[in-house]
Amino acid sequence: MTKLMKQFLLALMVSLSALTAFNAHALDSEMLSDIKDGVVTMQIQDPDRNVGYVVGDVLTRHLIISIKKPYKLIEESLPIVGYQKRYRGQVLGIDLSDIKHTSFDNGDDVIHDLTLSYQVFTNKTVVKHGAMPTEYLHIINVNSKGKEVVKFRIPSFEFAISPISVFGQIKIEDDISGYRGPLLLDNSLLKKRLKALLMIGLISLLGLIYMLGKHAWLPRMGGPFAKTYRFIRKQKNLPQGATPEGLKNAVASMHTALNQAAGSSLFSTNLDAFLAKKPAFKAIKPEFAQFFSLSRQVFFEPNARHQVGNDPLQWLAQFCRRCRDCERGLVPDQLPSDSLVAGSQNAINAQK
Amino acid sequence: MSDHLLADWRQHALTLETEVNKVVVGQAEPVRLITTAIFARGHVLLEGDVGVGKTTLLRAFTRGIGGGYQRIEGTIDLMPNDLVYHTYLGEDGKPHVSAGPLLMSGENLSVFFFNEINRARPQVHSLLLRVMAERTLTAFNKEHTFPHMIVFADRNQVEREETFEIPSAARDRFMMEIPIVVPNDDAIMSDLMFDTRFHNADALIDTVKADVLKFDELNGFSSVIQKHVTASPTLEKYALNLWKATRKPMDYGVKVTNVDMNRLVLAGASPRGMSMMLRTARVNAWLNERSAITPDDIHAVFHATVAHRIVFSPVYEMRRTEIARELLSNIVNVVAAP
Repeated sequence: MTKLMKQFLLALMVSLSALTAFNAHALDSEMLSDIKDGVVTMQIQDPDRNVGYVVGDVLTRHLIISIKKPYKLIEESLPIVGYQKRYRGQVLGIDLSDIKHTSFDNGDDVIHDLTLSYQVFTNKTVVKHGAMPTEYLHIINVNSKGKEVVKFRIPSFEFAISPISVFGQIKIEDDISGYRGPLLLDNSLLKKRLKALLMIGLISLLGLIYMLGKHAWLPRMGGPFAKTYRFIRKQKNLPQGATPEGLKNAVASMHTALNQAAGSSLFSTNLDAFLAKKPAFKAIKPEFAQFFSLSRQVFFEPNARHQVGNDPLQWLAQFCRRCRDCERGLVPDQLPSDSLVAGSQNAINAQK
Repeated sequence: MSDHLLADWRQHALTLETEVNKVVVGQAEPVRLITTAIFARGHVLLEGDVGVGKTTLLRAFTRGIGGGYQRIEGTIDLMPNDLVYHTYLGEDGKPHVSAGPLLMSGENLSVFFFNEINRARPQVHSLLLRVMAERTLTAFNKEHTFPHMIVFADRNQVEREETFEIPSAARDRFMMEIPIVVPNDDAIMSDLMFDTRFHNADALIDTVKADVLKFDELNGFSSVIQKHVTASPTLEKYALNLWKATRKPMDYGVKVTNVDMNRLVLAGASPRGMSMMLRTARVNAWLNERSAITPDDIHAVFHATVAHRIVFSPVYEMRRTEIARELLSNIVNVVAAP
């Protein structure tokens, strides 16, 4: 029993001595003596202004601390993120939100680079004082006999906390400060909206051009003869294009285009009125007579003879292309000599 | 055989036209239309101002056609029996009855010329309607037939006092109503003033070659034309659309200046009118050496055969001529073929 008690007491004493040694570092900083001058040098870079902060703002201070050997920073004494400091029992409302610490050995001393970010978590309806609080770093002399621990004080940074205006409580006129700067509205949404509207405007403009160009992206394009020319070319390439039915479809589409261009049904009897209205087509007047002879043969009088040669569909495509050129205000291409068949020559002579 | 026949008759028709055009100058289009009506066997109503040559034109044609020719003047006191007979006291002091203009030439009557038709009473119009439609007349307990008769009538559109408007039913019996206007050509107008040849209408008409056509063969030859000249399905569809457009112009987007289109047309062209239009279109095709009707043939006769058949609201009747012209022109412009 006695032996067992001795062993227990010995273990308790060892534990207490170890705990006492550890607690030397965890001791309240007030209990520690200040470090001797010349051991630690510090450069502080504080925020540019000390007023105009409101709840939620983050203040950052940058410290470069040089500690001469054999003194060494006890890193456990660095401020703890989220720890709420109190002043006279009241929560200070300035919390450490981030800490960055790096160090490197510089021979005779060790340089610590420390960045402390504090966030304001308090608000009042009037301006009040706030501060990045005083922090104490514990430094140990590793060569001393009793492992002497001392403290080094990082001074506080005082600033003013501004209230967020509340309607009816704060007169904004009383809160105008040259340091605050203009209040800026978030306009990113408006910018996006502006871009979207500009895009819509641009598309609308293109659509307008398309419409004014009569279903074409540019004026004079996509007119009735251009569409009919595409149709007749397709018709030519189809197996049924060369049949009487295919030719009938092609001539009918040409009639439709002519009617659209004339603004009324166009017949040989009102051709002169059409040419007076659209003089660009005068250059191909003889071909109109050929076309009407073809139409007559196709639709009304199968026994009649037309004047467009042996390949009416080919002739029709050429005629339509020349009409398209006239429609676009161009001078139509000269017809190849072989397509100017005898019949058309007669028609030309007749026109003369 | 048929082709030769057609060509021979065409030559006769063109000769008749040439003869008439010699004495009635500047009226080539009405002359062509009347020629067409003759070969389509339809009655013709001329409308125009006073002194434009309506009567001279019809008399010139009458001379060229040959056959019996009778003429009557429309007056307000004209009675139907005046067309059939007239009574008089003979030299013997007894009453006598002699045949009137309709009966005088018997079956050989080829042209009955009714001058100033709108001065006659409706009773006279009524008798004329039957004669025009049936070419028969019952008188003296006997049915008289006039198989070769064509009625030419004229009216002036300026004078309306002591006149009787021809009802739409009567107008519909005329195959064509042809407007006659003063020629626009200065040279022609000058000739009409200064050329003494035109001052004596009787002498002028005597210069027309007589009996160019064989009046008693016209009916038979007309049938040949109607059989020979064909109409394609496309043309039939086109004519049908034209007909429908005269009945409901709004359906085809047809508009007339300063006219409420919802109220304008009370009745469009009649089936008889459209069949007459196709008859005349066939004749026009034949005159132009075609064996089938084309839209151009229809256009050539469309106004003359349709304008007088459309029944307008009374409020627009006073402007009939100008409204009908614009309406039909717009119909032709709107309806496509094919």
